[in-house]
Amino acid sequence: MQPRKHEGTKKATKKAKAFSFSCLRVFVVAWVCVGVGRAATIDDLVPDIRVTPIERDGQVLVSFDLSDGFTPDVRDAIQSGLSTSFSYEVELRRGSPLLDRTVASVTITATVRFDNLTRRYQMSRTLDGRVEDARPTEDRESVRGWMTHFERIPLSTTSALEANVEYYVRVRAHARPHNAWFFWPWGSTVLGQAKFTFIQ
Amino acid sequence: MPATVTSISPRRAGGPSRTPQPPRRPFRDNPRLILAGIGVLVGVLVALLVLASGTSRFSPDFLSEFVLYALSAADLTMLAALVFVLARNIIKLVVERRKALPFARFRAKLVALLLGMTLVPTVLVLIVGSELIRTNIDRWFNAPMAEILSSANQIAGDYYQEQQMLASDHANRLARMLAAVDLTNADVRPIRDVLAPDVTLQRVQMVEVYRVVPSAGSLPSLESVVDVAAPSLPPGYSRAAADRLAAQALAGSAEARSIETLGSSGDLLHAAAVIRSKEGRATGVVVATAYLTGDLAARSRRMTQAFESYNQLRVLKRPLTGLYLSFFLMVTLLILFGATWMGSYLAKRITRPVLMLAAAAREIGAGRLDQRVEPQSNDEFGSLVEAFNAMAGELAASRRKVDRGTIDLERKHVEVEGRRRYIETILERITTGVVSVDAAGAITTINSAAARLLSLSPQIVGQPVIAVFDRLDLRPLGALMAGAQRAKTEPTAHEIALAREGQELHLAAVATALVGESGAAEGVVLVLDDVTPLIRAQKVAAWREVARRLAHEIKNPLTPIQLSAERLRRHFSTAPPQAKALVDECTATIVGEVESLKGLVDEFSQFARMPSPRTVPTDLAQLITDTIALYNGIFTDVRIEQRFAPGVPLVMLDPEQVRRVIINLVDNSIEAMERRGQIVVETQLDAANNVVRVIVADNGPGIPPAEREKLFLPYYSTKRRGSGLGLAIVRRIIAEHGGSIDVGDNTPRGTRFTIELPC
Repeated sequence: MQPRKHEGTKKATKKAKAFSFSCLRVFVVAWVCVGVGRAATIDDLVPDIRVTPIERDGQVLVSFDLSDGFTPDVRDAIQSGLSTSFSYEVELRRGSPLLDRTVASVTITATVRFDNLTRRYQMSRTLDGRVEDARPTEDRESVRGWMTHFERIPLSTTSALEANVEYYVRVRAHARPHNAWFFWPWGSTVLGQAKFTFIQ
Repeated sequence: MPATVTSISPRRAGGPSRTPQPPRRPFRDNPRLILAGIGVLVGVLVALLVLASGTSRFSPDFLSEFVLYALSAADLTMLAALVFVLARNIIKLVVERRKALPFARFRAKLVALLLGMTLVPTVLVLIVGSELIRTNIDRWFNAPMAEILSSANQIAGDYYQEQQMLASDHANRLARMLAAVDLTNADVRPIRDVLAPDVTLQRVQMVEVYRVVPSAGSLPSLESVVDVAAPSLPPGYSRAAADRLAAQALAGSAEARSIETLGSSGDLLHAAAVIRSKEGRATGVVVATAYLTGDLAARSRRMTQAFESYNQLRVLKRPLTGLYLSFFLMVTLLILFGATWMGSYLAKRITRPVLMLAAAAREIGAGRLDQRVEPQSNDEFGSLVEAFNAMAGELAASRRKVDRGTIDLERKHVEVEGRRRYIETILERITTGVVSVDAAGAITTINSAAARLLSLSPQIVGQPVIAVFDRLDLRPLGALMAGAQRAKTEPTAHEIALAREGQELHLAAVATALVGESGAAEGVVLVLDDVTPLIRAQKVAAWREVARRLAHEIKNPLTPIQLSAERLRRHFSTAPPQAKALVDECTATIVGEVESLKGLVDEFSQFARMPSPRTVPTDLAQLITDTIALYNGIFTDVRIEQRFAPGVPLVMLDPEQVRRVIINLVDNSIEAMERRGQIVVETQLDAANNVVRVIVADNGPGIPPAEREKLFLPYYSTKRRGSGLGLAIVRRIIAEHGGSIDVGDNTPRGTRFTIELPC
């Protein structure tokens, strides 16, 4: 009787585990597919950031403008005194958008906080976490430009590039704080990209 | 609590075994772990409630970013886990139901019922609660509150603006006034005279004047000339902010004002103005500072903070609403998850002991009566399990009894069968005939000896004995059996003579009635022994005794008679011819008859005292040839043919006695054929039986079957003369050699004597 009990128990446990793992696999695959689909959907959005890469003096410089980034919700958040940031992930990539590799990247964050008492904006910019600039202003337009317009941000040296190869610069923008009902893991991302061929 | 089936203990010799359990999961089947899991769940719920109650202390920014992110992730994870568990359980239930596994439908119903009871109200509460949260949050942001806070903020901001503007105005005015003063002069009294009235009159609380110090090759710098401060300024303030503002103003920055917060001491509102000469060249910078007391600054700050907090909440209304909904959703998902798991767990806990019972019942039905189920509770399930075990125990005990009985029965059957086969073998092999008849009078058994003796077929088994034994020659036996059934005394042997192919068969028959233990008649057994050889031997022995006595009594007087007759002949040899002739004839007759009597007596003596054969290896063919050679030329009308089988070995026999046998048989044949005919003497070898046959066959008239048995008896003869002992002696000689002699009909006619001798 003992051998039959052990065989039956082992078989049933194996079956139960196999069944659970099957369900889990199906589930994870479905979840990933949704995420990939969502990511793909995001990647297929019409870009709202104008990106202009140039090569100058042995460097790849990027200028970009988030023209429609200063929405009424953003203005409202700034005016309420919330510390509002626009983070830009700038990447220099090689290859097709789906199968590529990153050559260089940089993260720029522009932050502004309005003091309703002094009616002054305190602006700051960081580059890869280092504070590059900080200044106060009372001019609202200055704030808009500070947050959305960037000129000639150094991205990479040309020595890292191969001649006659197509590259593209991709810029993702995230705003904080988020003003959504639910924090979707893939977030709401504004995207812009531009291709160029490095000719030596 | 339903009975639970614990782990089955290993089967030991002589002990009942346990039905195999369904696979035990370490978590689900361990009450401690389950309680721990419930404790963790309750802990998470309490933590959520504490977090939810503390949301008012956290900044909206923190709530909307980190807390909402954490809750969103947790909600998604919980939702995924819940969907996974639900899907898994549902699919499992569907598969079990399709496979028609035991209690699959019951379990599915139970889980569906529990889920339905939990899901419906939970979803309703979720929907209603979400709507309530949304509606109430909207209520927070009403117009009157917004106006009040906005107005308060406006008042505070306007006051600060106004103070800054005043400070800026004063700074500009002082800059214009100081344009005519030489700032490079070491004597600062003229400057102080310009500044003092503003400070004294409380227009500003502090004025600082810097002069421009040109430097070649770099930007000009500033040097502090003089500062005048009102005594109302809080102690410990720093000039750094004023110095920075002066430098910014000199650099041409549009920002010519700044606010320096002194914490609880208040705020300093700085305003800078560049002092220019008549030529428009910057010669210095004046920084005028207005002081706002700590209380004023704090109140202004509070008003602004209230306004900002309100507006931040309004701006982040959506994420905050989402935050509270997430809390709610989280709790709901936890409840659903717990209910799903609990439903599945309860269903299994309820059905498992029943499954165990069903499995054990199947095992018992399959013959494995040592199956038991271990009860784990004292409730009705435990009682059911105990009753089941008791039933199984009784079944096992009965089975063991039956098995033991079966084994005994089988052993006895084997014994009986062996005995039966032994008896059958004996019955078939023995020369004693046995016939059994049952109480109904039907023949139940007849062995081969009885069939042979009675000339009956073995197929008479089952037929009525009355019908079978109604045959004329068997009627005495039938009467014997009938008499045995009626008789109450001990059975006795009867001698019955039957005629078989002209020969007489003597049987010693004993019929015994079979009586059962209750005294009822169960049939009759008839035992038959062929005593023909015994009878024959008795007869021969009797004749031999007679022959011996006769030989002895007769032989003695024969010699005196013969001598007397010869004496008379000699005496009357000189008598007259007539008398001599008469005497000669009479004495010759007397002597001849005496000789004949002597020969007879000799034969009787021989018969009575046959010497033992002195056997030597003898070539039978040669012996026969030599014996037949004696007849050469004697009987011209008799042809004696000899046929000898090849390969006949030497036979151990007494040549003289065997010669006598052959002579006797040939003589009888010649006599029977009236000295005219053919006699064949041949030998045959029966190697399988180690027997040599000598056959003497003639084509005479033959011997009737009725006469054949008597042929070998002493004093039986068909010849006109002779002692009638010839064939008796032949039989005696053959018997002494270990052989046998038989007589039968020759083909196409005549008599055939067959002698078998061992070789």
